[in-house]
Amino acid sequence: MPPLLTIDLHNGVPAYRQIMDQIKLQIATGVLPAGTELPSTRALSATLALNPMTISKAYGLLEHDGVLERRRGQTLIVRERPADAQLTARLDPLRQQLTTAAYLARQLNVSPAQAVKLFRELLDSKIP
Amino acid sequence: MISPNTSASPLVLSDVTHRFGEHAALHDISLEIPAGRIIGLLGRNGAGKTTLLNISAGLLLPSAGTCRTLDIPSGQLDTPQLTRLGLVQQEGRYLEWMTVRQQLDFNASFYPRWDRDLEKRLVEALEVDPKRKIVQLSPGDRQKVGILLGVCHRPSLLLLDEPISALDPIVRKRMLDFLLELLRDDGCTVVISSHILNDVEKIVDWIVALDSGELVENTPFDSLQESFAEWTLTSTNGALPETFAEPFVITHQGDARQALLHVRTTDSEAVTRFAASHHVEIRSRPLNLDEMFPLLTSQRKKQP
Repeated sequence: MPPLLTIDLHNGVPAYRQIMDQIKLQIATGVLPAGTELPSTRALSATLALNPMTISKAYGLLEHDGVLERRRGQTLIVRERPADAQLTARLDPLRQQLTTAAYLARQLNVSPAQAVKLFRELLDSKIP
Repeated sequence: MISPNTSASPLVLSDVTHRFGEHAALHDISLEIPAGRIIGLLGRNGAGKTTLLNISAGLLLPSAGTCRTLDIPSGQLDTPQLTRLGLVQQEGRYLEWMTVRQQLDFNASFYPRWDRDLEKRLVEALEVDPKRKIVQLSPGDRQKVGILLGVCHRPSLLLLDEPISALDPIVRKRMLDFLLELLRDDGCTVVISSHILNDVEKIVDWIVALDSGELVENTPFDSLQESFAEWTLTSTNGALPETFAEPFVITHQGDARQALLHVRTTDSEAVTRFAASHHVEIRSRPLNLDEMFPLLTSQRKKQP
């Protein structure tokens, strides 16, 4: 089963970036465990209806970042990573979201204490 | 897997100027189209896109400068090169009294590599009725015939002038998927001019922009996306200035409390520095091609 990626081609974020971010997120959340094979550049390019250059750029950078590695000729797999790298990978997407939230909190004049309290409540609640 | 053919550029223009009477349609264009990519040729009406494509195909000779297409001067294109070149014109001229079938067979007879399977597949995908006479076709159907005649010989350089403007969204999507397939299977270089930027945005990976006959942009699409942004500024301390001197600020609107800037910078620290020096909070958002278009196509250097 290939990774399910949704690429928004009109939001201005380069498609290769979106592919990288989504693959990283799926690895961090455990959807793509270490050792999982990724579809070939060609196959993914056909599935997503994207330029193959875009796919190979995303794959190339993920390989360079040590997220993916090449096995058995051309096949790319999810690389096994040490615990600290895994933690960083899990915190990164959260930091991105919270940066926006912090900006909004300052705009709305919500005090840090109030903002943290709200975040705690959201963490404890089961309701999404 | 395809490997990008970086060796030879299929289209090289050197100091190309083209005049129609007094009017310079193209002014001193030097440009090397990278091989194995899909290039979006952008520009407003009258910017010179069609002239550039016609010169590339050898239909026009430049008033000055040289254009090399498939490694020979475009004025000397002959059978070996013409069978590797595809051109889809905005309003193609056909043999009006023929049926679509006859026109396809007629053109096919000139090309040893004409791909009948591809033709059959495209006739179905684009929903063309081969039994109809050309003269009776709607503008959309004429455009489809133009596409069929331009691509069925599997060109290695494909020049498309507004090829999808009259197609409905479903057929347009099939057409774009097909261009990607040509790129994947044949490593074809595609130059496509279009105003339907939402569609072009899906497939292009390189942008060439013209403004009143001058070349104003020749850049990978990724880099453009990563350098253009819209910044929303909120003052944290005092009033915002009326103008910003930073050279990367392209447009500015707003008042003393809030401002909206369009910026272009590759410096990832620019946003932090700007926020610190002007006492502002910045929310940054990337721009899509529609939003970039007016910024890209008005970059011509002001005449002294």
